[in-house]
Amino acid sequence: MSFGALVLRNIGAAGFRSAVILACVALVAGFALFTALVTEGSDQSLSKAKQRLGADILVVPKGSESRVQTALLSGRPTTAWMPKENLGKIAQISGVQRASAQLFLASLSNASCCAVSEMFMLVFDPATDFTLQPWLEHELGGPLKLGEVVGGTHVFVPEGDDFIMLYGYFLTLKATLEATGTGLDQTMFMAMDTARDMARISLSRAEKPLEIPENSITAVLVKTADGERHAVARRIQQDLPGVSVLERPDLFQEFGQRINVLTKGFFAVLAVSWAFATLTVGLVFSISANERRREIGVMRALGSPRHFALRSLLAEAALLAGLGAALGLVLTYCGVLLFHDLLASALDIYFLLPSLADLGILLGQILALSTASVAISTSLPAFRMSRTESVSLMRT
Amino acid sequence: MKFLFLPAIILTLGLLAAIVPQFTDCASDGLSITLANGKTIPMKCHWSARAEIAVAVPILGIALGSAFSRRKETVRILSMLGVLLGVFVILVPTTLIGVCGTPGMTCNTTLRPAMIAVGSLIIAASLGMLAYNEFRGREEI
Repeated sequence: MSFGALVLRNIGAAGFRSAVILACVALVAGFALFTALVTEGSDQSLSKAKQRLGADILVVPKGSESRVQTALLSGRPTTAWMPKENLGKIAQISGVQRASAQLFLASLSNASCCAVSEMFMLVFDPATDFTLQPWLEHELGGPLKLGEVVGGTHVFVPEGDDFIMLYGYFLTLKATLEATGTGLDQTMFMAMDTARDMARISLSRAEKPLEIPENSITAVLVKTADGERHAVARRIQQDLPGVSVLERPDLFQEFGQRINVLTKGFFAVLAVSWAFATLTVGLVFSISANERRREIGVMRALGSPRHFALRSLLAEAALLAGLGAALGLVLTYCGVLLFHDLLASALDIYFLLPSLADLGILLGQILALSTASVAISTSLPAFRMSRTESVSLMRT
Repeated sequence: MKFLFLPAIILTLGLLAAIVPQFTDCASDGLSITLANGKTIPMKCHWSARAEIAVAVPILGIALGSAFSRRKETVRILSMLGVLLGVFVILVPTTLIGVCGTPGMTCNTTLRPAMIAVGSLIIAASLGMLAYNEFRGREEI
């Protein structure tokens, strides 16, 4: 009988023990993958959302900072207004390279005039915008025309329609943006003239008109000169008392803190379960090695080399660990892939799934770590067995 | 020895295929489509949920049939039907009827992925039953 066949037969002969080890390793490897996917994915998601916003500083009406950040992250619409003259004042502040106003609007909820319910609409000014406009120029070869919009990756034209109808107004979806994993994916972006035209049409065609207060804006995005961000933020706060100034690193801080708490919790549970699983597997193998003392003693007496038992036990452990880890990884990834949105809403965080290359590296690392952990936990009983004389092995 | 493990799994999965969609469609969240005349009609996912009952009932029959059948031929046919119906459990909310368009709705976050998972497991369990049936003697089934 070949060495491989012997290992397989030993695994098959102790079905319950093998199943326990498989389950232990599968659970721990699966949880490790889940932890890595959620923590790394949420970091990636957060940095993409900041990148999409594209500004060094975000200026919003005082008291609305939390609502505005939640709207940008979750796509849950909100409205907040401040005087339009703030834009001019901010543009005058030294260190400000560019400043552009935005309006935050919401579609109606479950209205027959609208193809979608409660969609967050972000309105930008093509004349001053420096976040979306360069992308539009590059991708569409020019600015958005009247009635044209771009959307996050989850914004789509309803099946069987050619347009998205909002407030009784027909919008053409020109392009969809790359996924960020956040609420920006279900946000619609449109130019100021389209929003004003929609408000005009909504007076006669919508169940409730779209109201855009005259001479009001929701937010100002600011690009500063290099190294001046903090100083500019301070100056804006001094000159305009009615606003809140959010610097890029401080954006979505609440979300960042939530990720940190979750990450710490996940890693603590992972460390405990990993240690527990390693101990359990070691213990199970120790019992199994003791049960097989006589069998190994006979094999040694018949001439099998001293390291044969060691190799056999380690090979069994490595094979079971590899299979268990692979099973856990496949099931966990399929689960996360299928229930991604449900998990995101249950954990109240946003996370992007990694690219195939990153996923491959991650799976390889967890597989290697699981196999190594099990191999280490079984090496002690296996080594002890290989050092014992065949006579004393057969006696017990 | 009577082999009941896989039929029991298929029975459980069949029950899940019938029950889970009834509580995870948009109607269970109180959502419906309001027409221009003010009338409300159920959303697409509601019909997917109903169709899953029609697919799940034969799956329950397959599970019971394979648990009580001693004939190798019968179990073979029932296993193949199980694979086919598992495929339909997946196709109803993904292709044949579908679910609502908005990604955040319960039918999108729960109903569809749950049916893909349940359907895949029904296919796997049916294939397992088929393999077991082919490799074991008639009296053991």
